[in-house]
Amino acid sequence: MKFKKAISLLMSALVATTLFAGCSKSSENNTPAQTEKKQVKITVLNSKGEIQTQLEEMAKAFMSENQEITVEVIPAPTGQSPFEKVSSLYSSGNAPTLSMLDPGDVVKFKDKVADLSSEKWVNDSFDRSLDAAKVDGKVIGFPFTVEGYGFIYNKEVLDKVYGGNFDASTIKTQNDLEEMFKKIEASGMGSIIVSPMDWSLGGHFLPLSYATQSKSSDEVNKFLEDLKAGKVDLAQNKQFKGLMATLDIMKKHNISKNSPLSGTYENGPEALATKKAAVWFMGNWAWPQIHELDPENNSYAFLPVPISNDANDYGNSEIPVGVTKYFILDKEQNTEEQQAAAKKFLEWIVYSKTGQDYVVNKANIIPAFKNVTVEPQDPLAKSIKNYMSQGKTLQFMVTLPSDHWSKNGASMQKFLDNKIDVNGLAKEIQEYWKSVK
Amino acid sequence: MKKRERIMLIIKFMFLGIFFLIYMVPFIFVLINSFKSKRDILLNPMALPTKLEFSNFINAFNKMGYIHGFVNSLIITVFSVLFIIILSSTTAYILVRKKWKFNQIIFFIMVASMIIPFQAIMIPLVRIYGSIGMLNSKWALIYMYIGFGTSLAVFMFHGFIKSIPLELEEAAMIDGARGMQLFWLIVFPLLKPISMTIAILDVLWIWNDFLLPSLVLVAPEQRTLPLSTFYFYGTYTADYGLSMAGLILTIIPVIIIYLILQKYIINGVLQGSIK
Amino acid sequence: MKEEKRFIDKLKTYLLYAGPTTFIFFTVIILPFLFGIYLTFTSWDGISNSHNLVGFSNYIEAFKDMKFLSSFGLTLKYVLYTVILTNIIAFLFAYILTSGMKGQNFFRAGFFTPNLIGGIILGFIWQFIFSRLLVYIGNNFNIPIFSSSWLADPVKAFWTLVIVSVWQNSGYMMVIYVAGFMNVPKDLLEAASIDGANAWRRMINIIVPMMIPSITICLFLTLQRGFMVYDVNLALTKGGPFKSTELISMYVYNQAFLSQKYGVGQAQAFVLFLVVALVTVIQVYFSKKMEVEA
Repeated sequence: MKFKKAISLLMSALVATTLFAGCSKSSENNTPAQTEKKQVKITVLNSKGEIQTQLEEMAKAFMSENQEITVEVIPAPTGQSPFEKVSSLYSSGNAPTLSMLDPGDVVKFKDKVADLSSEKWVNDSFDRSLDAAKVDGKVIGFPFTVEGYGFIYNKEVLDKVYGGNFDASTIKTQNDLEEMFKKIEASGMGSIIVSPMDWSLGGHFLPLSYATQSKSSDEVNKFLEDLKAGKVDLAQNKQFKGLMATLDIMKKHNISKNSPLSGTYENGPEALATKKAAVWFMGNWAWPQIHELDPENNSYAFLPVPISNDANDYGNSEIPVGVTKYFILDKEQNTEEQQAAAKKFLEWIVYSKTGQDYVVNKANIIPAFKNVTVEPQDPLAKSIKNYMSQGKTLQFMVTLPSDHWSKNGASMQKFLDNKIDVNGLAKEIQEYWKSVK
Repeated sequence: MKKRERIMLIIKFMFLGIFFLIYMVPFIFVLINSFKSKRDILLNPMALPTKLEFSNFINAFNKMGYIHGFVNSLIITVFSVLFIIILSSTTAYILVRKKWKFNQIIFFIMVASMIIPFQAIMIPLVRIYGSIGMLNSKWALIYMYIGFGTSLAVFMFHGFIKSIPLELEEAAMIDGARGMQLFWLIVFPLLKPISMTIAILDVLWIWNDFLLPSLVLVAPEQRTLPLSTFYFYGTYTADYGLSMAGLILTIIPVIIIYLILQKYIINGVLQGSIK
Repeated sequence: MKEEKRFIDKLKTYLLYAGPTTFIFFTVIILPFLFGIYLTFTSWDGISNSHNLVGFSNYIEAFKDMKFLSSFGLTLKYVLYTVILTNIIAFLFAYILTSGMKGQNFFRAGFFTPNLIGGIILGFIWQFIFSRLLVYIGNNFNIPIFSSSWLADPVKAFWTLVIVSVWQNSGYMMVIYVAGFMNVPKDLLEAASIDGANAWRRMINIIVPMMIPSITICLFLTLQRGFMVYDVNLALTKGGPFKSTELISMYVYNQAFLSQKYGVGQAQAFVLFLVVALVTVIQVYFSKKMEVEA
């Protein structure tokens, strides 16, 4: 009989579980409003994994100044796109108060997010930094990070090679670039390391050929529309051909040319720090890794990627710079209080001394706001600010289709590995664009 | 005859030894690197640590909220596995012993369901349970693990119950055992080896699972150990030394559990008891 | 057990033994699965609150996708190699490690260790080994096959996937085979030995038939895991170089979440399910038939 008792106990446990499922249905309405004594809790989804710790510290600093608000930073898993993480959180009814998204994904959430047009920071943001976050004239995204990329070079090394002071502005053409590589190699070092990651080749390198089509972004957009319509012959396009000719030069001098696809991201900073290479194609997000391996050297800076042999061509002395992450503020699943707290947090990032310090110095982020005067300590950020202040910037193509980097990155890898030639590459990229809806 | 046996033994040992080395190499590297700084790892991953430093372990222990994660993982794993074993064994029993058409259909559906790619039900699952407010709780996660775990467990019990002679139960019936009693007193004890196997496999699966908890558990205080371990991984690069130390902290409990349960099986509690 | 005659009695018995399992199983797997199928006929994009019915257009697009089909072909090749290698190695391990030799517990624990860690992290560890450690060894000891990273070459990268999968899964299958070997009656083997049957004869005539339930389970598991492998694929090769090792789960996943064609991805996942279902059901049907009912 003992067993019957055990069974009935088990059964009642199960019934309880099932009931629990039913019960929680009714309690759902209360969940967002669990505000005890005006305590507000907001969640921030971070999709920049490398600054998770810094963001957590930043949240702590904010909380100590604002006792009534609790900020919780949740990371998006590696290998899962932020879009996927945020959309699954929305389906689960656990939408974060603030979500950090890639620019191309911001408008997809337009029905679910709060209008931020009347926020103070809107007026203090850099020109065009809100472009990807505007829908029907409303601002729905907070520009969090400005990033730029190009050839990162080790000035200390180049100074030695050039016997004194190396002037980056003298490298304006493909010939100059190759000359420089040869000089470095003559001194017994490797010149450049080309990292084969698809996101770098497809997401950063290839788009240079789009951005350099014209100074006007409308023209660039038109170019992309023509690509979609199949009206562009890339193999005959001057900018594309030129950029790939530059890649040919890079391939020739690549220190890992024997097995061009075997490298990883970590090989880049390592090659720079151990002086196996003096130049690396990458962006300012790489600074923490370079700094960690080469802590004494603060001489790193950017060179543009030349696409022709005419020094006056657009793109030969400019580097791409743009906003690469936005925050969106949920209005569907978060209460008024939570939204207000989140707005306060965003304002704190832009206007408070502590917030600015955390963003610029701890997280190595270039803010998108004019009022922030804290000077970055990190030389790559400084270099980008230099280009910005001289107006020598290109459009950072941040709103390309979401799989652009992955699909075209694969084609670029084939080209890097000499599996296809430039015509084959042009064909694959055109095919890709035709499949985009 | 003796000589041949000895040669066989040596061959066996060689075979095992070589494979053993291959199987262990990755772990040796995790262990070596868990004592080194990130810089040392990136510059020379193969060098032995110059000194035994436990700072990575201490850091990892604190940063991942180890105790918290451990308790959560423990509760989730224990309850899920317990329920899977209890519920699946009775289910498999009825599916084997009653040859109703309906039972065959259920068994078929369960087997077939094991092929459903998790990605295919991920978003619908989260959407359904989110809309009835059943997410963000350990108990919801346990509930889902039972759902995901039963089909395999039923399948495994099914094969083994089939090999248990019906006469045992008939004899017990003559002695007056009825209904559920029959199962718990006579059949269940015989299922111990396969129950243990299922328990081991499910413990490992649930203890290590990442994707499902990452979807279901949102609040940090609910996090399981793998979710906490994940904290150490960045987008472009990882804090290698720290994460490898975290990794070792995460797997130590599993190794202990495995060693205990494995010994249990090997002692062969029920060896020969079926026949 | 007594035979229930009336439907209501059958139902009562069923609910008592299998009711909770059936309920949980249906709510956790079948319901979301059906809902997922429904979504393949809609234009739902994964986030918006509304969606339209679009008929079969997602399926039409799924089948027009040549890359989907070629990824499927690659997956079949991968499944073939991993299923065969994993089962042979696991069976051998289990056989040797149940023969009562010294240190068998130690070896068993060792071979099982790869299962103690999640696939993502194992993938990272192996990526490090293939792209650095082996290259280092190849260059320093002049072993040409290791001198450049295996992950940079489409054919070799495919084999790294097979090797790591076999390495990871064989310990798991070994446990199941060990449990199976323990069910082989010792006295039967001894009797056969006395009768003069050699090791090979004992294997074919006694052990293998008694091991059919374990073989069924292991074949099934390796098939299923092979078709659905994702973690290792993601962490080890990321589908590269140039998408040459993108197995089907990863392809479908990217289709849904990276290209954000949710309906098409879900439709392809459903096609994948149908094919795998067919293969494994056939396998289970035949091996279950071979099981001896005592």
